[in-house]
Amino acid sequence: MQYCTACQKAIATIVIMDLTEGAVTGSQHVCQACAEKIGIAPPKPPKFSAELVEDALGGKTWPRSKPLEACAGCGMTPADFRSKGRLGCPRCYDTFRGELLPLLQRIHEAQAHRGRLPVPATTPVPATEDQSLCDVRRRLEDAVRGERYEEAASLRDALRKLERGGPA
Amino acid sequence: MSRPRRGDKGPEFRPGTWLLGTGPESDIAICTRVRLARNLQGYPFAPRLDDADASELYTFVVGRLQKPGLPEALQVLDLAPVDELERTVLVERHLISRELAGSKRTSGVAVDAEESVAVMVNEEDHLRVQVFAPGLQPEATWRRAERLDDALIERLPMAWSEEFGFLTACPTNTGTGLRLSVMLHLPGLVWSEEIDKATNVAQKIHLAVRGLYGEGSRALGDFYQVSNQITLGRDEQTILGEVQLAVGRIVQWEREVRAALLRGSARVKTLDRVNRALGTLERAQILSSEEALGCLSAMRFGIREKLLDGFEIPAVNRALLLSQPGHLQRHTREQLKPEERDQRRAQLLREVLGCGR
Repeated sequence: MQYCTACQKAIATIVIMDLTEGAVTGSQHVCQACAEKIGIAPPKPPKFSAELVEDALGGKTWPRSKPLEACAGCGMTPADFRSKGRLGCPRCYDTFRGELLPLLQRIHEAQAHRGRLPVPATTPVPATEDQSLCDVRRRLEDAVRGERYEEAASLRDALRKLERGGPA
Repeated sequence: MSRPRRGDKGPEFRPGTWLLGTGPESDIAICTRVRLARNLQGYPFAPRLDDADASELYTFVVGRLQKPGLPEALQVLDLAPVDELERTVLVERHLISRELAGSKRTSGVAVDAEESVAVMVNEEDHLRVQVFAPGLQPEATWRRAERLDDALIERLPMAWSEEFGFLTACPTNTGTGLRLSVMLHLPGLVWSEEIDKATNVAQKIHLAVRGLYGEGSRALGDFYQVSNQITLGRDEQTILGEVQLAVGRIVQWEREVRAALLRGSARVKTLDRVNRALGTLERAQILSSEEALGCLSAMRFGIREKLLDGFEIPAVNRALLLSQPGHLQRHTREQLKPEERDQRRAQLLREVLGCGR
């Protein structure tokens, strides 16, 4: 057990290590209060899932005057999203965008991606592709349910073609 | 993955890549794991996926995984006919998650012969790609995962956007979908009561530190898992660098406290602790999973620091695996009540370690 090198009174619970090119060149042991004073206290771990979504959506920022509608891609309702903390399909990222951004900020301290993508960044985003895949699948299901087999066959071919086309 | 034949040692004796005990810094870093979360376009994510869609997606993905040209030779294991015990074994071998083991929908895992690659299908995300390497090897593990990911992207239409990167069911994985974990054996930090400080240092830069065994925050057997929490807004190389740096610091810290535990008056206490653990493993007739992990941790430490003669790390690794409930019951080929398990565990560990009676 070590005492805090700053106040010399409290038990040190945090170690500050000096790094030079990845190698530890020195260390200081400090207590929580002193760490907070010098602004290096470890952050509280982020809360996840339902609780976090509740926090982000359930507070004063929730736009009660304009209730969100269910996602057109998968039928996920705002209540589902809030209670489960999960998205239902790629389109949910658009549907719940307004609520998602502050949530992502809290989890990741960022709201936009950096890094790998399935295609070079210069290629246009296939914004409508997923939508059309979902739409075709839904129309296919409808056609089968309505026993419109000719329409179903052509929709099935269209779906296969879209799937083969991949994300580009 | 086949059931062991009577008379042979059985596949459960093979430790799998994650417990090989080799690789850089393997005295402390047991294994590195890269996990990628991926979803397909055209299907709802798991929370909105009905059973029929889940089956269709599974068939579609498995078909694409079996097309030639994948950089890994993967064997698909359909989980439908796999019973609860075998699923537990797969969890203990880190090939599937506890969530997937408990799932009732059509799902499976594609695994290579060395158990260094495992692709889960229909987990919380449509695909969960896992790549393992022994010791501390973030860069090499990532490169292998990236190559596999490239091949999967070529044959499967992945869900993504330029703004949010790879789209996942849970916002905690959005972006890179990358979770890099390193499993660490930290008896020095635990015994010298410095582990909370080490955990704080890691948390300061948004890394999660969890026990490798057991539920909740308690780490059984001094085994920990350090991983990145942030997946959005930092590219893969940044994430790799952050984890590598933090783990490097923890490894060095562990070495320093180990050296202190072997010096002066601390040495006799450390020797006592290691030898008591060996004594328990040699003589105990009833061993809980928790006690076994504690003793095996002390023994692993003792072997690494040359305090114990006549034992080797691979035997301890096998013992670690076989002391888990799934492996233990599979080895004894019967369902055992918890108290029977503890008795069989004591007996089996003596056999595996070649000690006591």
